Amino acid sequence: MAEEILKEAVKEEVSAVGPVEILIGIPSYNNAQTVRHVVKAAQAGLLNYFPDRKALIVNSDGGSNDGTPEVVKQADVDAQSLMLVSHPLYPVHRLTTPYHGLPGKGSAFRTLFRIAELAHAHALAVVDADLRSITPEWFNLLLQPILTLEFDYVAPFYKRHKYDGTITNSIVYPFTRALYGRRIRQPIGGEFGISGRLAGHFLTRDVWNTDVARYGIDIWMTTTAIAENFKVCQSYLGAKIHDPKDPGSHLSGMLVQVIGSVFSLMETYDSVWRNVLGSLPAPLLGFPFEVGLEPVPINVQRTLASFQQGVRDLRPIYEKVLTLQQLRELESCAAQPIDKFVLEDELWVAVIYSFALAYHRRVLDREHLVKSLTPLYLGWVTSFVHQTENETPTQVDDRIERLCLVYEQLKPYLINQWPLQTGEKRSES
Amino acid sequence: MRAFWEQTVLGPLRDLGQQAVAGLSSLIGMLVLILLGLMLGWLAKEIIYRILRALRFDRLCDRIGVGLVVERTGLARSSSYLAAQIVQGLIILTALLAGLNALGTPLTRNLVERFFLYLPHLLAAFLVLVVGALVSRFLGRSVLIAAVNANMPSARLLAGLTRFFVIALTVVAVLDELGISRTTIIVTFAILFGGVVAAAAIALGLGARDLARDLLQSQFRPKTHPEVEDPMRHI
Repeated sequence: MAEEILKEAVKEEVSAVGPVEILIGIPSYNNAQTVRHVVKAAQAGLLNYFPDRKALIVNSDGGSNDGTPEVVKQADVDAQSLMLVSHPLYPVHRLTTPYHGLPGKGSAFRTLFRIAELAHAHALAVVDADLRSITPEWFNLLLQPILTLEFDYVAPFYKRHKYDGTITNSIVYPFTRALYGRRIRQPIGGEFGISGRLAGHFLTRDVWNTDVARYGIDIWMTTTAIAENFKVCQSYLGAKIHDPKDPGSHLSGMLVQVIGSVFSLMETYDSVWRNVLGSLPAPLLGFPFEVGLEPVPINVQRTLASFQQGVRDLRPIYEKVLTLQQLRELESCAAQPIDKFVLEDELWVAVIYSFALAYHRRVLDREHLVKSLTPLYLGWVTSFVHQTENETPTQVDDRIERLCLVYEQLKPYLINQWPLQTGEKRSES
Repeated sequence: MRAFWEQTVLGPLRDLGQQAVAGLSSLIGMLVLILLGLMLGWLAKEIIYRILRALRFDRLCDRIGVGLVVERTGLARSSSYLAAQIVQGLIILTALLAGLNALGTPLTRNLVERFFLYLPHLLAAFLVLVVGALVSRFLGRSVLIAAVNANMPSARLLAGLTRFFVIALTVVAVLDELGISRTTIIVTFAILFGGVVAAAAIALGLGARDLARDLLQSQFRPKTHPEVEDPMRHI
């Protein structure tokens, strides 16, 4: 029997509301400053775009001590100012509940999925509580593809500054695309539309006591949806502006959560990705419009120094992970002056594939392995900044597209190096 | 006269002969046991080595880090071979002890008895040594990666110091377990460790305050000055 994660009081509250068509989930932790705006946007979105559908807004809180749940309860939108065309048939219900299980966004999502299941919701939209640029239209863009076009999973598509989301651009997007053959530009975007069917499917998976329950939930959901052939699309949401993340979450910790999850999912779905070559675009819905973007400063002196030190001091670790040729190429890269510094795409992709293989083979402690990738990633950032300094957004997009193609071109190497299952034979092709 | 010969010459000679035969048979028994042990040990080593290789024992050892220790210390050509050699050694040791016991002298019996009483300490010390080696390696690597990611110029020095201190503690624990000059070792370690700390404190506090400050700053403060909050948006 499945473990019940909801308290009786919450279940009773959900029963009292009755079945709903739409559930909007807002996971939060100390977001009192911004959550009011998010809740109001959600209410306005429901009143504006779904006036005839019964909906529930759920805040799944991780134990905030700044009064976030109280702010959620008190936030109200002035319905008159919305100039509604249709009169809403149902009031928008609101519910706030602490989540249980391991601390992290994944546990909050699990609570939301369970409430959606109890309330028989057809569609869920989950948005971060720290968003400043969210508008009511986002909910239309995340929910409508599910309610009317029968998609199961809607990933966000944002306009971002060229140096915003460098882990996404250098590893997560191109690697996920090469592995599973679908071009989801923001696989760890933070905002998602999910069908009730897929939310129920997520609940059946035995991952809620792993890193997925912490911060690997985004990539896990995207990968699961693609690898298990759910109908996936993207919605254009414009710009994403949010509160700065917790400064305590250091870069190497982020890499462990995100890249560790990507590597770990490769083991779960190795029978899927080993049969995929090339990639297909995922439908992009919404109207792409230009937005002003906040510049992201990058101190290349610092990132280059980190790369050089990493190549020098972490050599004993890299010797276990990389080939001698890769190691030599990295060393000659590290010797370049900053104005000529380039980390070639082919070398970068080969390094990532070698790390993925080392993770699978458990060459060393997995956390150590992923953390040791940090200086090399900063090397890629240095090279990227140096190469794109004077490039337009379109040129930068082209550059990332070229990187994606290198990931796809070198994938046969990864497939050939991946250890076979017992009794399995490698195909000749 | 005949009785005299019997009592004074032939009797003792016969006793000596009997004792010599008894001693010789014990000696032959001991040699046979040792020979058997050597043969059995060699056979066991070959069989166990092949079984462990078939079971991919080396890969398992590589994963948990034992493989590297074996490789670096040059103890054996592989972890499977080392395991097989350990079994061989135990069989030969058992045969040797059985052989000594077969001699039946109070001295050898006492030796065997004392060995078996000491055996648990030997095993415990071996276990402590293995765990200590693994912990020192793990902690050393943790410190190295964390220090490199924090841009500390002395990352390798810090990692080396971490490994050294864990190994030093392990050696003290092992020697203590083996009962080798227990008090002397602990006192020596405490005096040395305390002395190093005291010397460093005095040096820092009196003699070379400025120099120490400059040295520490150059060694441990990151060369660049990263902002309090990383302005990059990685995800």
